[in-house]
Amino acid sequence: MQLRLVHTTGFQYGGQALASYNQARMTPQTGPGQIVVHTRLAVDPTPWTDDYRDYFGNEVTAFEVLDPHSAMTVTAVSTVHTDRQPAPDPALDWADLAGPEVADRWTEFLALPHLVAPPEELAARAASLARIHGRPGEAARALCSFVHDEVEYVAGSTDAATAAVEAWQQRAGVCQDMAHLVLGGLRTMGIPARYVSGYLHPLEDAVVGETVQGESHAWIEWWDDGWHAYDPTNDLEPRDRWVVVATGRDYLDVRPLHGIYSGSATSSMFVRVDITRLA
Amino acid sequence: MLSRIAESMFWIGRYVERAEDTARILDVQTQLLIEDTIGDRETACRNLLSIMGVQPPEDRTVDVEAVLELLAYDATESASVAAVLGAARESARRARETLSVAMWEALNTTHRSVSTGHFRTMGRSASFRWVRDRAALINGAADATMTRDEGWQFLVLGRSLERADMTSRLVSTAAFTSGVGSPWTSTLRACGGHEAFLRTYNGLETERGAAEFLLLDRLFPRSVVFALNRAEQCLDNLEAGQRAGFQNEAHRMIGRTRADLEYRPLTDVLTDLPAEMERLQNTCTWATEAITSRFFAGSEGTNWLGGRV
Amino acid sequence: MPDLFKGYDAGAAYDEMFDATSLREPYRRLVESLQHLSRADLVNRLETLQNSYLDQGVTFDIGGEERAFPLDVLPRVIELDTWATIEAGVQQRVRALESFLADVYDAGQVFNDGVIPRGVVTTSAHFHREAAGVRPPNGVRIHVAGIDLVRDEQGEFRVLEDNVRVPSGVSYVMTNRRAIASTLPEPFADHRVRPVAGYPQRLLGALRAAAPAGVADPTVVVLTPGVHNGAYYEHALLARTMGVELVEGRDLQCRRGRVMMRTTHGLEPVHVIYRRVDDEFLDPVHFRGDSMLGCPGLIDAARAGQVTLANAVGNGVADDKLVYTYVPDLIRYHLGEEPILRNVDTWRLGDAAAREEVMDRLHELVVKPVDGSGGKGIVIGPQASPGELDDLRSKVLADPRAWIAQPVVQLSTVPTFVDGHLGPRHVDLRPFAVNDGQRVWVLPGGLTRVALAEGELIVNSSRGGGSKDTWVLAGMSTTSPRREEHNVPASVAPAPSAGPAMDDLTSDAEEQQHQQQQQHQGRHEARAGAGGPAC
Repeated sequence: MQLRLVHTTGFQYGGQALASYNQARMTPQTGPGQIVVHTRLAVDPTPWTDDYRDYFGNEVTAFEVLDPHSAMTVTAVSTVHTDRQPAPDPALDWADLAGPEVADRWTEFLALPHLVAPPEELAARAASLARIHGRPGEAARALCSFVHDEVEYVAGSTDAATAAVEAWQQRAGVCQDMAHLVLGGLRTMGIPARYVSGYLHPLEDAVVGETVQGESHAWIEWWDDGWHAYDPTNDLEPRDRWVVVATGRDYLDVRPLHGIYSGSATSSMFVRVDITRLA
Repeated sequence: MLSRIAESMFWIGRYVERAEDTARILDVQTQLLIEDTIGDRETACRNLLSIMGVQPPEDRTVDVEAVLELLAYDATESASVAAVLGAARESARRARETLSVAMWEALNTTHRSVSTGHFRTMGRSASFRWVRDRAALINGAADATMTRDEGWQFLVLGRSLERADMTSRLVSTAAFTSGVGSPWTSTLRACGGHEAFLRTYNGLETERGAAEFLLLDRLFPRSVVFALNRAEQCLDNLEAGQRAGFQNEAHRMIGRTRADLEYRPLTDVLTDLPAEMERLQNTCTWATEAITSRFFAGSEGTNWLGGRV
Repeated sequence: MPDLFKGYDAGAAYDEMFDATSLREPYRRLVESLQHLSRADLVNRLETLQNSYLDQGVTFDIGGEERAFPLDVLPRVIELDTWATIEAGVQQRVRALESFLADVYDAGQVFNDGVIPRGVVTTSAHFHREAAGVRPPNGVRIHVAGIDLVRDEQGEFRVLEDNVRVPSGVSYVMTNRRAIASTLPEPFADHRVRPVAGYPQRLLGALRAAAPAGVADPTVVVLTPGVHNGAYYEHALLARTMGVELVEGRDLQCRRGRVMMRTTHGLEPVHVIYRRVDDEFLDPVHFRGDSMLGCPGLIDAARAGQVTLANAVGNGVADDKLVYTYVPDLIRYHLGEEPILRNVDTWRLGDAAAREEVMDRLHELVVKPVDGSGGKGIVIGPQASPGELDDLRSKVLADPRAWIAQPVVQLSTVPTFVDGHLGPRHVDLRPFAVNDGQRVWVLPGGLTRVALAEGELIVNSSRGGGSKDTWVLAGMSTTSPRREEHNVPASVAPAPSAGPAMDDLTSDAEEQQHQQQQQHQGRHEARAGAGGPAC
């Protein structure tokens, strides 16, 4: 599938911001399952920018705006060609996970920071799933379905700072929370897993040429002799409607836009994603 | 040089001069107030406070004691000598590594006398004399040990602007108390210029002559014109030479005010002396703002929002 | 044996001056030159020294209170051979840690080769992922290092701790030397002590060498947190002696990826920042957002190669106490050499086997938190109460990775003048190393810290420690060192003009009158003789 993505985000200040320094992770990269045909990042008011690759391999654009401004808008326009193959069968077994080739290599994706740390109930469920299933890959799949069934998708029920335990308490959240919950469960089982941010064309039968309002989406990947993707929010394996932008340990590593500013005391963030299937 | 340090030097110059000149004014005025048995003491005290830029308190009587608290001893009142010496030391502390040891120690020990309460216990005229002596020590240390670089120019610039401002206030106080005794003599004595004045004016002391001396004399270091000239010189040294006009707003302002004083007939100036002096004080304020935005921009720290805490 | 040393009881530890009762060779000359100094003399000189420190403002901040830096009057002497080993060992250590850091923030080959588990590094609080991709222009990340050494019971120097983030104390080395040279001029003159005053020039050279590519005349600055920081005196001293600007965070601004300094002439570029601000406070964009001590954009500017930060961001992973236990292996892996200076034996309590070995021996060991500094959190088993040990045990079991244990090393002692007489006190040594990219230069001597309380093993100044001037001797010669011959002027220079007032003062009044009279007479005579025979 060939998709065109227009991701617009930014800050609205109550008053004027005098200066701001920002980091944007809105640039998709060519990788397994997708080829980036074209990508461009534009900022208004026009700033100085510098691109680099961060520790997790994500493309980052650092930019500063040093003139007074009341709003700042970042627009990322990308054309991506997706062609994801169905995932292979689970390969590793539980003993493989414990060895240094996995546990030491992916130690950072086994950590349980604040956003990801699982509630007791989930940890217990994960432990029992690990006992039931003969292969980690199978247990992982089961955990994703479990979280999908337990937690209801309710837009606006949480915010960017909500931790997994909080979302679990209310059994409601958005894709970010589903991803954090699954990560917590998988890592408790000893399966290295990472957070993925990107885009999702919301319609299964996407019409060529039709622009729909999509969303900035989050899902996960776990390690099974290769990174194996899964979308717990939709309980589906990501295929051609999914575009990857960044990966990391949790939401904090992949934030599309964050930064600091001086001047006005308040700021609010706006986001809009428009997706068009081109082919 | 770093804007932050330049700003410190400018304010050290201003604060030290302010302390010295406030002490001089108080020395004269408190003496006059005590000697004055006929005039309204309260009104005189209130006038003095107004001239010094302090809002006289509405709700209580203002006597000599109150004036001394507000202008000399109370370290919480921003116009008082105590507060100003504290501010001078604080400015020095921020630029400590660029000051010579002699200067730092002079400023520090001066402040210590104030903060330990010693200043208050000295007795009136002794304390005013002490402030003048300390100012002389600080300026002397600066003169002897500071390289004539930008820091020095800013120090003298601050000192000169403050001197012009303070002398204008001194002249105002003399004009106000002109009913009693010979305020002009005391005023001239207060700036240590009485002897110079007498020599210059061949022993003939008139109100007009004294005003002319204090405002316009090009050679007496405490005259307004002298001080403004000095300030212009500093600004000249700080800017790279320009062939036409003045790039610096402050330079333009100060130059015009000085020219105004020098080229207008003295009679005009004397007709409405208080208003003229107020104009002078405003010029100094605006010039300071222009200098700050030109040279010291952005040296205060910024508060950043939105980051990880 | 001078009076001073009578009754000196060396104690169980390795005393650097006395071997049981006999005097060790390096101190022979010092003792000789102190022959004529009585106890009273020494007390006097010490007082003068302390007063001069207070006057100059050589102080250290302890809990908000400014106190004169405590300097002991007796220097510590290290002979050349011992020093040669220390110097080589410190250089080796710095080189190995440089390679380690370069690898860890890049390919991570050291993990793949199984030398150190990746988890040890990635779980360190000082492993800053923001620094990945920041390549220092000349490859140097550790511009200044302070390697803490102790001397064990056998007299062997061992590494206690590496400090490669923002090591401090070198200013005291320089001020101590000046103070002792003027307090004990006779003994100082009798020795050939290698000088330390050249440190600022070395540091400046290394900082300039680290400038971004293509900058011919780099602007170097020292970034200080400000006057309220305990080590401000050192920041100011270094800036002054290097002849560079001392700046605070608010004096800097990042524009278009370059770091600029706010001056009266507008914004001027800065190329190398010797920063004495911790990583966490350096850049509110990537680290603590509430920091007023740094400047937003520094990390991105460093990554873009427009500014060099010295020391580099993220060095803390190399002086992590857990990584310390792997350093001997790192030396072998990165340099292919055997360690010249050994570590102190250490147990990693995160390791189950190590825990088993030591959990019931805590009362015999020194237990340290991996993330501590300045001696905080250290428990010395033999000196701890049963309550403290229980508390420690539960803390360790709660987070074992955060603790290491070491045997109680009886630090060596040196005679120290405390309360009017000389007694043995424990010391350590912090040599400073400067890396300019071509070589690692080690300052001869370094900071000797001495625990002033008898038997106290923690020497940090924040815990009441003092220091000693450290003399590295430039080879032993039997004759007194020959002073350099200066050119002696051939004749006396012309005296400055005296002036009339001086003439009046210096000549006799009567003689003046006499001369006047003679002149007067002379004139008369001349006139009288004027009508003499014509020619």
